[in-house]
Amino acid sequence: MAERNGVPAVSIMTSAFVDAAELMARVQGVPLHPFAVIEHPIASADARGIDKRAQVAVDAAVEILTQ
Amino acid sequence: MSLKSSRLTTSDFAAAQETYHANGWTDGLPIIPPTPDLVSACLEWALLPPEHLVGIEPVRERSITAEKLAVNAVMAGCLPEHFPLVVTAFTAMLAPEFLLHGATASTGGCAILLIVNGPIRRELEMVTTFNVLGNTDRASAAVGRAIRLALINLLDVRPGEIDRSTLGHPGKFSYCIAEDEENSPWPSLAEERLGESAVSAVTAVAAMAPRQIMNEWTSNPEEICETISAEIRSNQLHYSIWAGNYVVVLPPQLRRHFFDAGWSKDDIQNCIFNQARVKRGSWKEVGKGSVVKDRADREYLAMESPQELMVVAAGGPAGGFAQIIPPWLGTKSRATTVAVGACVDCEVP
Repeated sequence: MAERNGVPAVSIMTSAFVDAAELMARVQGVPLHPFAVIEHPIASADARGIDKRAQVAVDAAVEILTQ
Repeated sequence: MSLKSSRLTTSDFAAAQETYHANGWTDGLPIIPPTPDLVSACLEWALLPPEHLVGIEPVRERSITAEKLAVNAVMAGCLPEHFPLVVTAFTAMLAPEFLLHGATASTGGCAILLIVNGPIRRELEMVTTFNVLGNTDRASAAVGRAIRLALINLLDVRPGEIDRSTLGHPGKFSYCIAEDEENSPWPSLAEERLGESAVSAVTAVAAMAPRQIMNEWTSNPEEICETISAEIRSNQLHYSIWAGNYVVVLPPQLRRHFFDAGWSKDDIQNCIFNQARVKRGSWKEVGKGSVVKDRADREYLAMESPQELMVVAAGGPAGGFAQIIPPWLGTKSRATTVAVGACVDCEVP
């Protein structure tokens, strides 16, 4: 939605929601829309686990936004 | 009547079943093949043209027409006279505050509870007493099922596709009840919510599975409320702490104690509103201590206001039970009530 309005954006999914994200991208008419994937789950991760996921998300976001 | 849906030809009834199952068009149970005659009969009963726009699902930007709803209503076993309830229910579900996409896609796995009020309950012979939250009558079963089939076929709410429920619950097959207005001096749920008496209406709730309580050892209304509130507090701690539209289904044996004490629905709502609240620190007692942090004394109400609690009179004559039906996720989805046959854009003659 943000990108349709001209705002660069990146969606972040946990691995358990990859197929859901692909499905939603398809039904929204952007089947190849890229998104960042991080390890599932988030809620029970400790601080180290959150940091690790954040780094993965940032690296993927940079790649998606600059490709 | 000119229908636009594509036509399928199968060799017989059994082949039709296999076709529907193979295409993922059912809930796992057999369906009634939606022939043009049966679909047209539903539309004619409701006085709706096939292209009538019931609403648009905003996330998917998908329009829901009367014809497509009628196809799914027939598949579910609806008679033409049941169809107005299906249209009304879907209208309620498409209200923005209901958040249909979230409620049907969430891992939380709620179902859509329909509560029917008004004269249409009697016209359709809906059962309001014995086994009210189980298998009861044709209209309740078929209307509840029609909603699920429509979600599957019109919005791809299939498990593992749009429906991301981790567990779900049995109400996702059918979850439709009618209030026992004849045996209650209280205003019906629809009267409370719409402010009109004797109106036929459907209330849609994004609802979790019912949780049953029992208290047959008191006639004191406050004590009965305390048992109900304890179950709500338990749900707040074990499932979701957020305030929302809880439903309490009260059968006659417990209702009698409230009537005898002169209690109104308002009195019950106020009592439970005051009792059903928990401290965040109580999460420590149920294995969730890691998220208490420095807010142990913060209090969470089960409802934002007493009116958010929906008290419904229904159930068989014997048994000091009640059912508490929690909301899916706080106020993310709000219960919506729509009158049957209401025309929101009709011109007054």
